[in-house]
Amino acid sequence: MTRRWPVWATGAAALAVCALIDPALAQPFGLHANAAPEPGGFAGWILAEQAKFYLKLSHLIRASKADGSAAYTLLGISFIYGIFHAAGPGHGKAVISSYLVANDETWRRGVILSFCSAILQSLTAIGIVAIAAVLLGATAHVMGNTVRVIETVSYVFIILIGLRLFWVKGRSFLHLLHGQPQTQHHDHGHAHDHGHAHAHAHHDNGHAHDPHHHHDEEEASAWGHAHAPEPQELKGPHWLRRGLAAIVAVGLRPCSGAIIVLVFALAQGLFWIGVASTFVMGLGTAITVAAVATLAVGARGFAGKLAKSKPGAALLIVRGLETAAAAVIILFGAALLTGYMVSERLMGV
Amino acid sequence: MTALLRLLLAALASLFVVAPAAAHPHVWVTATSEPVYAPDGSVTGIRQHWAFDDMYSAFALQGLASKEKGKFTREELAPLAKVNMQQLKESAYFSYATVDGKKTPFADPLPGYGLDYKNEILTLNFTLPFKQPVKAKDLTIELYDPTYFVAFTLAKPAPVHLIGAPAQCKLDIEWPREMSYALGKRLSNNPEAATNFGSFFANKIIVKCP
Repeated sequence: MTRRWPVWATGAAALAVCALIDPALAQPFGLHANAAPEPGGFAGWILAEQAKFYLKLSHLIRASKADGSAAYTLLGISFIYGIFHAAGPGHGKAVISSYLVANDETWRRGVILSFCSAILQSLTAIGIVAIAAVLLGATAHVMGNTVRVIETVSYVFIILIGLRLFWVKGRSFLHLLHGQPQTQHHDHGHAHDHGHAHAHAHHDNGHAHDPHHHHDEEEASAWGHAHAPEPQELKGPHWLRRGLAAIVAVGLRPCSGAIIVLVFALAQGLFWIGVASTFVMGLGTAITVAAVATLAVGARGFAGKLAKSKPGAALLIVRGLETAAAAVIILFGAALLTGYMVSERLMGV
Repeated sequence: MTALLRLLLAALASLFVVAPAAAHPHVWVTATSEPVYAPDGSVTGIRQHWAFDDMYSAFALQGLASKEKGKFTREELAPLAKVNMQQLKESAYFSYATVDGKKTPFADPLPGYGLDYKNEILTLNFTLPFKQPVKAKDLTIELYDPTYFVAFTLAKPAPVHLIGAPAQCKLDIEWPREMSYALGKRLSNNPEAATNFGSFFANKIIVKCP
């Protein structure tokens, strides 16, 4: 019995990862149609807070016209609003967290990915309003349609990322399940046709993993990523290039709130105030997304550590978890794309 | 091995469990509603007046031309109103009627709907008829967005007027709840909340006639 505890502990850790990601999912997968989000106590509180702050924004933007100091208050409120707001759907917590779990990325990378995607999200909102509204004088309707096209691209992108990860992780999981000798599929790890240099994946023999573990992890790495990478890889741009897909998929889709705030500021003749507010909001958003991502990575790391104490069966759970995380990305994207899960409508009214 | 598989399945399943996530409103509507009665005492439909918040009002007006800057006539806003009504159809006009315990859908809005713009606030006016006038002892009309992208609040102090209703009819209003930590906690223990989040912030108009 005592020999089996690491297995159970790993299972528990795997469940913990899910439990942590789960409340963080931007919107849930309802198991039946029309399923709408359920507010938890904490989520409910956040919901109430962010609504309060949003309503303050309009007042402060107006006030900034007459009183410059109101602009500073506006930036402060925008920041706090961003933190609370990101708890809601559409800010990539689910995609980024699942991506990090599936790919076994470090928390530091998770934080960087979160910030990059949040900044990109701000830039998209500003770009749309600047081009459509300021330069072309387009209507809200046209902007809404533009956003919808961008959304579709972003959702397809999310699905592609998920499929790619699912393919790699799922295969590795199946190999492990069927107990095939690790060496047989060693080659697979190098057969991926992505444009990413593989040099680093070959020379990590120096590290402490046992050979089986080592091979399996190499195989399992999406985007040709070796676990416990060499220091130079950590410094290098490889992982960021790999994460770029996730950044773009998440950051491409602008936040409806930011677009409404920008257009409102524009109507008040204070477009630049709106731009500043949007960036600060993005910063706040990034903090929330990064926090959720860090939690996910932490739980994943814990599961991984337990797995190492009993490679074999426990490793299966970790691979299964990664595969599940990849599946979540696919389903998330598919639900968004098909409109089964409405992230946010910009033109609903 | 079976234990492991079971664990794995449990882990997978937990990823799909409905999570306590929060939709959040981006549009606020302050509503005034008027159930309309025929001379024979049956309900023909409901007139709605929805005032949007100032940010959404400004957003919706972006790029629209008007003769006089900052002012819009009903005619100038007619194309926008048309688009709004088309889009609202997809959301069942956020209006859900129950007649004597039976859900009763509304038909398409009557012509003559339109937008007004006053004090930088856009107001959408429209009438939703029932398919046929209904005799209702107990009429309940709920106003909410299930996805909670739009937050509806009935206008205070007198949001509902009965038009031509029999004198014995009694009007009752249930205001939407304020979202709070305590309510959130209660809702998270309520399985019903999982299926229809926005309905927990519904405005209820209840008219009882003998």
